Amino acid sequence: MVQIVALVTDIEERGPFVRVSLAAPDLYPALTPGRFVLADLGDYLRKPLFPASLETPPPGHGEFDVLVLPSHPAAALQPGASVDLIGPLGQGFRIPETTRRLLLVASIAHLPALLALTNQEPGLSTALLLSVASVAELYPVQLLPPALEVHVVTADGSTGHCGSILDLFPDLVRWADCACIAADPAIYPALARIVREVRIGSTHHFAQALIAPPMVCGVGACYGCAVPVRGGIKRACTDGPVFDLLELR
Amino acid sequence: MTTIELAPEHKIGLTLSNPVMPAAGCFGLGMEYRNLIEVETIGAIVVGPVTAAPRQGAAPPRTLAIPGGVLLHTGLANPGVTAVVRRYGRALAHCTVPVIVHVAGTSPDEAGSCCQRLAAIEAIAGIELGLPDTPGGLDRLGPRSGLSDFLDDAVAIIQAARVAASQPLIVRLPMVYADLLCEAAVESGADALTVAAPPRGTAWHDPTRQFITGRLYGPFVLPLAVRILHRVAGLVPVPLIGCGGIHSAEDSRAFLRAGAVAVQVSGAIWHDPACLIRVARDLAPEASSD
Repeated sequence: MVQIVALVTDIEERGPFVRVSLAAPDLYPALTPGRFVLADLGDYLRKPLFPASLETPPPGHGEFDVLVLPSHPAAALQPGASVDLIGPLGQGFRIPETTRRLLLVASIAHLPALLALTNQEPGLSTALLLSVASVAELYPVQLLPPALEVHVVTADGSTGHCGSILDLFPDLVRWADCACIAADPAIYPALARIVREVRIGSTHHFAQALIAPPMVCGVGACYGCAVPVRGGIKRACTDGPVFDLLELR
Repeated sequence: MTTIELAPEHKIGLTLSNPVMPAAGCFGLGMEYRNLIEVETIGAIVVGPVTAAPRQGAAPPRTLAIPGGVLLHTGLANPGVTAVVRRYGRALAHCTVPVIVHVAGTSPDEAGSCCQRLAAIEAIAGIELGLPDTPGGLDRLGPRSGLSDFLDDAVAIIQAARVAASQPLIVRLPMVYADLLCEAAVESGADALTVAAPPRGTAWHDPTRQFITGRLYGPFVLPLAVRILHRVAGLVPVPLIGCGGIHSAEDSRAFLRAGAVAVQVSGAIWHDPACLIRVARDLAPEASSD
């Protein structure tokens, strides 16, 4: 964990998001999908940013992308600007080495936190279940890896399946041997019920869900990012932000 | 080297080589910032709050961004004094600056019990005692308890801590009642006073459609805290530690000019951990020359 000044190297629109490229060689090597940095973007509370692209081995210039909505303060950054970052922070997604069928589940606003998992590893089949309100908000599928199997759900039926993530999740979770989820936490109890029904006796961390409430310190000092779990409360910044879906209350 | 003595009347004393330290509630239990802050530069670390028994703390949401700051309501979440000593005691013993443990004095029993548990631990150089700050908010006193009940209760908590603690006792005063409590705190055995605990506020949390009441952090706290410290400095002769809204060395100097001998940096650490070191380095020469 370091506090460093990163350089903004590039900015561009990318579908419903703005892609911000940051060069931070000192923290890049310890970044993994689901871990985050806290960025000083002018507000009193730093904003969590999740890497949307990670390369192995790390590039020498330590450049990684984050994707944010146009209303996010990071979208107003300009190339050449400096950003004070603290990180990498938290516990990211843990994909067992034995995983062969990886399921990613996201609502569009939370998709950036999962994009770093879409890089195809040899021998790994990955499917993405993506929820958007309508086709106009869809992330350009051509920007995703060609081997990624994409299932789109829209609320208005303008493309893909008309309905909810919950409609397609049972079949896909039967197929998967690991599931990584980033969506509105309000839907997590319903997803957990489905996992319990269709994957009886699933292993610890079979289904992992990301929760990122406002984080004050990012290091576990302030106890401000409480997440209720079975048996008590954990901190999103140090115990999470990725939790076992079945552990969440 | 010029030093600062926070407990000149205490048999052991509490000597700092720099007037800057983190505020309770902002620095965790001493380990959380170890990769970001070199504590050798600062005067002491203040860890906690700790309570006698483990506390899960408040149900979420606990955090609300407000203009220029943050509202935070943790409900004294901590693993309890016994677990703190067991898990962190060895590491704190190796700390190169004095370690002050903030005990949440929610009742005389709790304060006495915590201080007694900490009394025999050599690595702990001082106890900072937090007090309840909301008359009528204590179940023990009842919702209609008056100010005199509240002040009596606060004094009983300080006295219980004083009897149990072997280390120097710093009492952190609630901001709203600091001037009412300061003399009684000193008479009850406080070696030094921290002025003051973060004020409380209430704000609307739209996602959950409810009000949240919690402590307020941000630069706007500074003039409130300096005002009350200046008043307390005219009332009591003990060393004062200024706390509230410090985000720069210049902010700290406002407290020193108002009568403080040391300062605590609170929410600024969260926003910019390097701030604590910057303030400590900037203040070191001034502390020497004063």
